[in-house]
This record gives sequence, C-alpha cells and structure tokens, in this order.
Amino acid sequence: MAFDLTINGSVHSVDADPQTPLLWVIRDHVGLTGTKFSCGIGQCGACTVHVDGRAIRSCSVPVSTAVGKPILTIEGVSSDGSHPIQMAWKEFDAPQCGYCQSGMIMAALALLTDRPRPTDADIDARVTNACRCGTYHRVRQAIHLAADLMRK
Amino acid sequence: MSTDVTRREFLATVAAAHGAFVLGFWMPDKTQAQTPVARPSGAVWYEEPATPEVNAWIVVAPDETVTIRIAQTELGQGVWTSNAMMVAEELQCDWTKVRPQYASANRDARERAPEWTLKVPGNGATDPSGGGEPTFGDRDRTGVAGIPDSLYRRMRTNAASSVKDGRYYLQLAGAEARERLLLAAAALWNVPVTELTAKDSVITHRSSGRSTTYGRIAERAAQTPHPHPETIRIKSPDQWTLMGTERKNLDVPLKVTGQTVYGIDVRLPGMKWAAVKACPVYGGDVKRYDFDAIRTMPGVRRAVQFPIPDPSCTRGRIFSGGVAVIADSWYQAKTAIDRMPIEWTIPPDNAAVNTAMMQDALAAAIAQPGRVRVEHGNVDGGFARAAKIVEATYSTPYLARARMEPGNATVLVTNDRVDIWIGDQSPQETRFSASKITGVPEQNVYIHLCHLGGGYGRNGNGPQAEQAIMIANQMRGTPVHMLWTREEDFVGTTYRAMGLARLKAGLDAEGWPIALEVRTCMQRDGFGPEASFDVTSRYQVPNYRYSTHTTRFHIPVGTRRGVGQAAHEFYRESFMNELAHAAGKDPYQYRRELIARTNLPYKADMLKALDMAAEMSGWGTPLPKGKARAIALEERGAEGNGSATISAMVHTVSLSREGKVRLERVDVAHDTGFGLVNPLSVKKQIEGQITWFYNDAMHQATTIADGHVVENNFNRFPLSRMAEDPPEINIRFFPTQHWLIGMAHDRATSIQSAIGDAIFQITGKRFRDLPFRKHDLTWS
Repeated sequence: MAFDLTINGSVHSVDADPQTPLLWVIRDHVGLTGTKFSCGIGQCGACTVHVDGRAIRSCSVPVSTAVGKPILTIEGVSSDGSHPIQMAWKEFDAPQCGYCQSGMIMAALALLTDRPRPTDADIDARVTNACRCGTYHRVRQAIHLAADLMRK
Repeated sequence: MSTDVTRREFLATVAAAHGAFVLGFWMPDKTQAQTPVARPSGAVWYEEPATPEVNAWIVVAPDETVTIRIAQTELGQGVWTSNAMMVAEELQCDWTKVRPQYASANRDARERAPEWTLKVPGNGATDPSGGGEPTFGDRDRTGVAGIPDSLYRRMRTNAASSVKDGRYYLQLAGAEARERLLLAAAALWNVPVTELTAKDSVITHRSSGRSTTYGRIAERAAQTPHPHPETIRIKSPDQWTLMGTERKNLDVPLKVTGQTVYGIDVRLPGMKWAAVKACPVYGGDVKRYDFDAIRTMPGVRRAVQFPIPDPSCTRGRIFSGGVAVIADSWYQAKTAIDRMPIEWTIPPDNAAVNTAMMQDALAAAIAQPGRVRVEHGNVDGGFARAAKIVEATYSTPYLARARMEPGNATVLVTNDRVDIWIGDQSPQETRFSASKITGVPEQNVYIHLCHLGGGYGRNGNGPQAEQAIMIANQMRGTPVHMLWTREEDFVGTTYRAMGLARLKAGLDAEGWPIALEVRTCMQRDGFGPEASFDVTSRYQVPNYRYSTHTTRFHIPVGTRRGVGQAAHEFYRESFMNELAHAAGKDPYQYRRELIARTNLPYKADMLKALDMAAEMSGWGTPLPKGKARAIALEERGAEGNGSATISAMVHTVSLSREGKVRLERVDVAHDTGFGLVNPLSVKKQIEGQITWFYNDAMHQATTIADGHVVENNFNRFPLSRMAEDPPEINIRFFPTQHWLIGMAHDRATSIQSAIGDAIFQITGKRFRDLPFRKHDLTWS
C-alpha cells in the first residue's frame, strides 16, 4: 500500500504493508539509518523518534499510525551536529559505542521540549532508554547543559 | 536484474570510476558501471588512498588531512581516538586534521609487518622509555592468538590490551613517518635533516626561514625510505604532548547526528535481506522446514539452510545449525520466518539440561579434589590451630553480553572474492572463516570494518560472520545482509560461565587469617579456572591452597567483559568483608594490614589505592540508617612485577526498607602507570563499567531450561537505566612505576562485593549468589 510520510519536513512516498513497524519504514524504505533497531519490543528505546512531537518507540508502532503526522528522526535534529542538544552531547563526550544515542537524544529532546528546566527526577522518569556502555552519567550532564543552551 | 558479479567487472568498473582499485565501492553489474555506490559519509572502513601512503598507518593528503589507520575496532572504548593519539604524538601532525580509518584486513593477509615493528624497544613493563610488555602469541592462521608478523600485527580488540600491545609500534609508526617527512624536506632543500623541526604538520628550517607542510611533502616522503628505521626511538611519557591529555573522541560527532555506519546500516545495490533462526539448543540442527508455507508471502525469495558452524571457525565452540529466509526487506524476511514451520534435531543430553542440574553438577565438582594451582605452608595445620573458622560459598550465573546492536553482517561471495561489511573485533579470524567456508583464499577476502554497537567481549564470540558467510555462499553474486533479531542474538553468542566458589579461612585469636582455602568451579572451557585467573590471595595468609574444579556443559562460553576475574573478585572481596566482620575489624584497615604484611612488588601501590579511595569517600564518617559504605581492592597483575592495573573503590549504597537498592556514590582511586593515553576515555571506561557491574550485581542472570537460554530479550534480561545511575562518581588518579595492563574490562568489579556487604550491614542478611535482585532485601 502506498502512502506519504512527512519525515524531517520532507514528504516521502512509501509502498509498504501498513502494519510494518515505523522503524523499518524509516530505515529500509526511506533509508534513514540513524534510528536503530535493538530489542524489537519497545523495551530499550534505541528506535525512539518523535511523532507529532511525542517520543515513541518506533519498533512497536505500525507505520499506519504515523501517516499524516510530522515525524522527526535524529537526522532531522541537525545534520551538522549544531543543535544545542548535540553540542551538549559533544561537550560531555557522552557516546561510547553510540548505538543507543540517537534514541537517547530523541527522548531527551522530547523531555526538554516539555520541560525546559528538567530536574534529575524528570530525567529519570522520561529518559528510560537503555545504554549498555553505561553513558548515563554523561548523558544526564549533557541534558542539563542542553537545557541551558536551548534557553539561550 | 542480474546481480552476478565477476572480478573482471568489479575491477573494470571501479577502475573507471576512480583510476585505481578502490575498495569500499561495489558494482552491481555492467549496466551501472559508471555509477559506483558512493561511500556513505559515515563509513569508516578502509579506502585505498588517493595519494601514496607514507607508511601502512599514515596517509597525508595535499589538503593536510592525516588519515591514520586503526587496526582495532571502536566499540565505545575510545580506541579510534587513543590509537590515533599514539600515532599522532610521534608524527607531530595537526591533531585537528586527523581522520581515523580502519586498517585493511585484506592487506594484513598479503603484507608482512615492517621489520622495525617486530622488536619491542626497552626493558619491559617497568621501563618508562620502552615499549612496555606487549604479548603476541605464536603464529596462528585463525588469528585466535594473533598473527604476530602480519602487516598490522594485532587486529584483535580484546583483553583491554589495545594500548598495552599496540603502543610501541603505533608510536614507532608515527615516528617513522615523521622522520621520512623530515628526510624528504631535507633532501628538497639540500640541508641536514638535523636542522629541521616538525610541529603541527609544519616542517621548519629555522636558519633559512623556509617551511613546508606535511601535505606538500608527503608524496616525496612516500618515496623516501628511512635508511636506519631500527634506530628510531619512541617518546617516553615525559616527552608526550598529545598522549596524556584529555581528548574528545573522534567518532562522537558522527554519533550524535546518526551518521555513523554500523554493520546494520550497510546498504548495497541488489542486496537481499536474511532473517535467521538457529536451533535454540546449542548443538541442535534443522530436521526439516516448510518453505512452501511462506513462499507466497510478500517479498519472500527463498530459504537457505546452514549447518552448525565448523568449530575451527568458532574457537572450538559448538553453536547451532539453522535456516535463513531471504526477502526483499528484512521485516518481510523476519515476518516470514516467524511463520515458517521448523523442526529441530536436538541432542537429547543437551535438551535435558537446566540451571538447577548445572548448579548441582558444579557443587559435585567442587567437592572433588580438583587441580591444585597454588599451595604454600600447611593449610590443614592452620585450620587445626585456628581460633575461628569462617566458610562461605558464592555463586555467579551465566551472563550474556547483550550488546545493543544485534548480530549482523553483509556478505557478497563471488567465485574468486569475498566482501564482508561487519563490525568485528576479530577480523583476522573472520578472514580465516570466510576462506574456510567459501574456499576463496584469505588474500581475496575483503573485510570492510564498521564501528560496533557494543562489544563487551569480542562481540559475542558468536557465529554472526560465519552464519552470514554460509548463507551468502549459497547465493553467490548476490549481496546478503543477515540481521539477527534480539532473541536470535541471545542464541548466537557465548556466555560468561556460571561459577561457584567455596572459601574457608581459619582466623587466629586476633582475627587474622592463618589459613585459607579457595576452591573455584566453572565449566571446563570457561574463562576462569582454565584461563589462569588465579584468585591467589593478594592478602597475606601464611598457609594457602587454591584449587580449580571443572565440569562439562554444552553452553558455549567465552570472554565477556570482566572475564573470570569479575566473578573471582566478587568471591575474594566478599570473603574479605566477611572475615573482617568476623574479626570485628574495619574492612578497610583489615585489607590494609593484610596487604602491608606481603612482600608483593606493587604493595605500596595497592595501599595507596586503598588509602586514597577511603579518604575520598569520607570512610568512617557516620552515615544515616539505611546507608552503608564498602571498600574493595581491584587489581590485575599486582602479584607480579610486570604490567599491572591497580585501583580501589568505595561504594556508598542506600537500601530502603522496601528493599530498593541505590548506588549513591562511587569513589575511585586508580593508578595511571607511567601514563594514560587519553584520560577522558579512561574515565568513560570506569563510568561504563560502574554501570556494567551494577547490572551484574543487581539485575542480570541467564538461566537454562530444556537446554536453551531463557532470558532472550531485555524484558527478561534487564538493563539498568538513568534512574539507577549513581548520582556521584569521583575518579582520582595516582602515578605508578609500571605500564598498565588495560582499562576496558575489569574495573568496578567491586560493586558486586560492595552492594552485598552494604546489604549485610543494613539488614544483617548475607547473600552470596548474584544477582541480588532475586533476594528479599526488605528490612525494618
């Protein structure tokens, strides 16, 4: 079935089974591979993207639910790393292997949009992505710095 | 569309495109001959240089870009940056112009290492001017023990050894290139080379005021051999200007924009996708499958069966046979294979195994005499004289690595060439496997390395490359991207062996140990007793016996982060806490005294670590009810007089009455040896291992039922999140007079014993088996 998706401000025509998880359409039909597959059951958050401004785990959402809604992936945050959240991530050298970091950034960005001055408790509650390398300590500091940078 | 590729077409098309044999480009067929597949901007695999290389590690382009080839794999540990720093320190190039790129495992199969890389300079681990104490095994085609004289020598990424094993020849590579750049400039200007200086990629002849850049002179340097490379000396730490400074990791900018190309992100024209099911019980194979049931599903092309991988390709481990469904997209392949009926042939002995039986078998084995590894004094006499006997049995479960990127590889097999795109900690081994499986000689195997989405032990030691090669070998001419589901990733991996330890100490009237017996038990091929992780007491006990005990299980085991040492340090440091409590002594002072009584070469360093960690943590100051501190020593090599890594940590833990554990604060005192290459990476490695061993202590266990692994996704194999990260981590370094062993895998093991002891201090309950999550931790 053919339909249009609006990803990072561009319209993409896609021909896929509407039950296909959004993740696979983004990665394999549209070709944006910054969003990652890891658990496939919505546990780990590596596949986090924004649909209509909300952070969702795209491995567990059929693509049909995203039709007609704006979708934001890591590639749409900024391609040159100039967005304040990416600058903050680089300042703390947060990623290790980096595989979970696209999803981590998308979850944090959704939090910062809702709460421009998040507390540690807000971060704990809203950034529930898994990182196996153990970057949490730097990710937390980066989120606080990103909040400062985004307010400027 | 025909997707059959011949070598001739490949050569013709890439030559047309680039004027040279260019790897990293792949041509589908003649019809697209003039439109090569562009290398994605986030790709990091080897590329033939457009300008001649100065040596096998270094290419300087006319625009001053310095390409440094990295023969280890970046999996989050920072090797992309630290290896580049070791080369760039000596090259004296402009650091902002450095672009790492993976070394070619294919050239490694064709070319021999330069002679000047083969001899380690200096006098071993305690010589600051030398090359330290690298270890290379005997020549071994599989690469398991390294191929010591191939071009890049060690292409493995394991055992936290990338700096220890590679530093001297990476420094030499930078120095050799620098000297040749200087010689080329000296020849051009007809001045003595001794009058030239090099800094930040600029060569200056002060007396004449002339200068040039590396980019301008590199092509001449490539034609200027060094007459006496064996005379080149590497810098000692007091001469370092780049090494030893905190450098942000060079791979990070691409990782915050999603541009990094991991193995899972590789896309090739004409590529097909493979979803896989291997028999969940190791040693099992496919009896039959019914492809007709899914043949008409969208995108489905065919099914491909593969056998149990040849154990010579998997370090002797027995995995499973299985079947792949090939489709036009991965989700189609995965959906189809989920619906395809598959029957397995499973060895009955394997199918009968479960965790409880395995625990019984370990308990039976540990009661046997075992193999005595260390014995001194008279242990039984010591026990007979003791005023008090303390005994404890500890156990640790099987543990998965659970890297975030599921296993994958993209493989194209043709009749005379194999191309593999993969994140791989052992490309020399994969090269061997590819040749063994396809019959194509290793010299024609091209491995295009990608960053890994986590490794934690040679990315699983599993058969991801082998399965993908076996599948693609049955589809010659078509590139196949095999991707495991998360559940399949828990099948295609080795595990850390489950372990058991029995410790018995006799204490004298003052509470000091006069006799100690340690027994450890893991399965025979587990990295533990059979891999020399001697749990020899670092603490002085006059009468001591250590024996190892083994049994056989069918679960394939391998090198998971921390290896056997993580379990052994849990046993040893937990028992030290128990002895201190039994003696009524402070666990910090108790350890201190027992180390002070030894005559170990690095005794002073161990004491320094303990003292510093205790002081940092405010050891001895009162804590509110429900909070406790515990200390532990972490070391590797401290019993000898060679390379060593020594640290101590104090963990401050809170426990709510409802039984909720929180690691509140970690104070780390860590030795630097003669110098850390990138202290920022070291801090990140310590932070990461705090999370790692917190998970080992609190959450993770792999159990076996009916011969297969039960916990096969993150809902059953939990990973901690932000909310459990310790709010406070303090890391301080102190210098020591040896080279380090490494940083990446056995730091912060102390979290295990520390949380156990904090639970005891708060609740009075002593738990000796991990993870603690399964115990009732409530108190009132």
